[in-house]
Amino acid sequence: MRQKNRELKLIFTVLVLVFAAFLAVPVLRLLVKSFWGEQGATGEFYTAVFTGRNFGQTLMNSFAVSAAAAVAAVLVAFVLAYAVHYTRLPGWVKTALRGAATLPMFIPTITYGFAIIYSFGKQGLITQLLGFQLFNIYGFWGLLVGYVIYTVPVAFLLICNTMEYVDKKTLVVSKVMGDGALSTFWIAVLRPLLGTLAGAFVQAFFLCFTDFGIPASVGGKFDVIATVLYNQMLGGIPDFNRGAVVAVIMLLPSVGSILLLRFLERYNIRYDRVSSAELKRNPLRDGAWGLSGAVLGLMLLSIFVVIFLVPMVQNWPYQRTFTPEHFASVFADKDLRKVYLHSLAMALLTAFFGTLAAYGGALITARSTLPRACKQTMDSVALVTNTIPGMVLGLAFLFCFRGTSLQNTFVLMILCNIVHYFSTPYLMMKNALSKMNAGWETTALLMGDSWPKTIFRVVTPNAAASLIETFSYYFINSMVTISALIFIVGSKTMILTAKIKQLQYINQYNEVFVLSLLILATNLLAKAIFTWLANNREKKATKQTEEKGN
Amino acid sequence: MNWKKFVSLGLSLTLAGSLLAGCGGQTAGESGESGDTSSAKQVVIYSNADEEAITAMTNALNAGGYEGQYVFETFGTSELGGKLLAEGTDLEADMVTMSTFYLQSAQDQNQMFVDLTFDVNTLEEVPSYTAPITSQEGAIIVNTQLLEENNLPMPTCLKDLADPVYAGFLAVTDVQSSSTAWLLMQALVSAYGEEEAQSILHDIYVNAGDHIESSGSAPLKLCQAGEIAVGFGLRHQAVAAKAEGMPIDYVDPTEGNFSLTESVAVIDKGDATNPLAMEMAQCIIDNGRAELQENYPNPLYEGESSDAANKSAYPKVFEEPLTFELYKHHQDISEAAKP
Repeated sequence: MRQKNRELKLIFTVLVLVFAAFLAVPVLRLLVKSFWGEQGATGEFYTAVFTGRNFGQTLMNSFAVSAAAAVAAVLVAFVLAYAVHYTRLPGWVKTALRGAATLPMFIPTITYGFAIIYSFGKQGLITQLLGFQLFNIYGFWGLLVGYVIYTVPVAFLLICNTMEYVDKKTLVVSKVMGDGALSTFWIAVLRPLLGTLAGAFVQAFFLCFTDFGIPASVGGKFDVIATVLYNQMLGGIPDFNRGAVVAVIMLLPSVGSILLLRFLERYNIRYDRVSSAELKRNPLRDGAWGLSGAVLGLMLLSIFVVIFLVPMVQNWPYQRTFTPEHFASVFADKDLRKVYLHSLAMALLTAFFGTLAAYGGALITARSTLPRACKQTMDSVALVTNTIPGMVLGLAFLFCFRGTSLQNTFVLMILCNIVHYFSTPYLMMKNALSKMNAGWETTALLMGDSWPKTIFRVVTPNAAASLIETFSYYFINSMVTISALIFIVGSKTMILTAKIKQLQYINQYNEVFVLSLLILATNLLAKAIFTWLANNREKKATKQTEEKGN
Repeated sequence: MNWKKFVSLGLSLTLAGSLLAGCGGQTAGESGESGDTSSAKQVVIYSNADEEAITAMTNALNAGGYEGQYVFETFGTSELGGKLLAEGTDLEADMVTMSTFYLQSAQDQNQMFVDLTFDVNTLEEVPSYTAPITSQEGAIIVNTQLLEENNLPMPTCLKDLADPVYAGFLAVTDVQSSSTAWLLMQALVSAYGEEEAQSILHDIYVNAGDHIESSGSAPLKLCQAGEIAVGFGLRHQAVAAKAEGMPIDYVDPTEGNFSLTESVAVIDKGDATNPLAMEMAQCIIDNGRAELQENYPNPLYEGESSDAANKSAYPKVFEEPLTFELYKHHQDISEAAKP
């Protein structure tokens, strides 16, 4: 056992050092700004923020709309995930549902707000097709729609990930025991998922709570805290001290969520072996879930139609003649190839090292006998990364690494991405690992295998699907992210999303959409490769198990 | 042993990625060297300017023989402002072009710019480390099609925007987050005095409702998307949109087209200051102003003609210097005017 702990302690130390240097130090330095003025310690920034116009109301708005959006996103994601995992729908339907649920994450969020206006606005595509405007897109409802689209993919991935490890045979057992349909649903589906559902809720909540892009385009009079943060940090008169105060306030809810997640952890269930029990044939069940899934999926997709449509015409909505010129002008840009390769390289490196970090962190919390404090440290790191708005992280990096050799480098950008997106991959890996039989390491140790051998030979192959999923999550997010990177990208390290942001400032929406489509195409291709890899692995794994069985 | 395949695949992908990144970096370095062997490093220029201004500056630099020796990176005003204040002289750029009052506050805070070494013969006095490149004017923007469909009168002045007929059809920018709105504030305060300006602004905000936008380009964007019929924004952007054939037009408000200048400044990097940066700054002013004036017609330098094409009807300058303090004061008026 001592042997085992040594390697885990090493992993733990490395991770703690990385997060200390690239999360704790920069963020703490930023936070010090919230009470440290030119004349030393002061509470004036807090007073200024709290007495600001409607601050309390703004905070309440943020909580209300983020919570509503998170609940809605988790519900939508659950329906879609259930249709994929608990029905006998044909494979292509499941693939389509999976695609619809995850598509929004393949596109940079910068384009969301605009897609909503061009879809549901007064002259929007959907408004024109229907002949009337569905709802007022500015304010609560616009935000809700934007946030739900934004967070469904994350919630879906987390729920799917756990569903894969939930033993479907429980369904049969519950039925055999004579449980009613509802209590079966509770015992065999909901209860094992409770921890994950809560995790997904918290993830979605904080994504909404900290996002600035969507309120910037459809917030209307409905002020949210992220807008206040933006105005303080980067408004007409940037005030980093007051901005830091707002950032501190935005971090507070994470304390509550740490407690919530800790409480729900007891609901996580371990299975010795995951068996894929044949589900009973039930056309009614399949039809109902398939239909609800399809409706939700179509609603998600409908908003993105404009992204394809707008760049193909002269000037949407007023000059609707087809033209290839927007595509042509973007691809004629000779710098684009370099920028594209930058994005690709950054995303691959982030994915590789990010996956290692998430795997290492998850091994500590899910499969080690390290002290509770170590595990809690990892969990807290994950939650903190989740609650820090990209903009705050970017600015913190900006303050911390100015003048160092890391400034404007790919290394810094990759570390920033790894830290920024650590939470979901970590939770995915932790879920996957904690669902595996807890005795593997001990058994292997008794049989004379060293800890690394066990990890490589037993745990890693069994976690391969999740590892690939994690890799793909990091890759895709690195391709679409901008909020933090905009502050640390340099002229030699220019990436696609920063280019999009540049174009957005000069109102070149056609080009913005063309580049978004380029990112979408890249991500879809990458996803196809990752899925193929995962399937390949699964097939081999099943084959091996069968051989061993024989 | 499949995990090995997985890991090796990951490693090879990573390796391929880093090679790509390495190549990218190298080519950038090479192109810098091939341009001029005496200057190993390209001059990095950060700018918040619009496309038209970047094109004009690029043309001027290329004509001056600096092709390949510089690289432009553009940012939004707020991001570049944040970078200037936070990074100071550690900024990657050798030179910036940015709203002048931002440069002033960055200089006050960080002492980060060097005095320009060439003559800057401006009409108005400017700080010694800045040379204005453009003067950006505000104007009323309209979507002609929506005005017609909704039988709305064509506004002629900013006070018109307070008329309840425009309720739900109007977008303005929040001076709290965007300096474009400051142009509207200056016009109102200058024409009606602070007290009346505040009450007019209140009515304007009531009409704008959901559309007190944080980004300066949002009103034009919303006009183009057919969301609103009337907005306030940067004049040259509306001129460009109209020229593209969209149902967009602009109105010069009778209260005046007030303006904010953007300037070039060279960052003080001590011994590491790239001497080419100062030369290029001079080149942009000496050779670029003619083309810049096509889109930003206000004369800034002695000897410049004021009857350029695209000239606004009522160019005006605020009676007080446009300082950060004045900006804050106008922000307070705006906050008090909010419904």
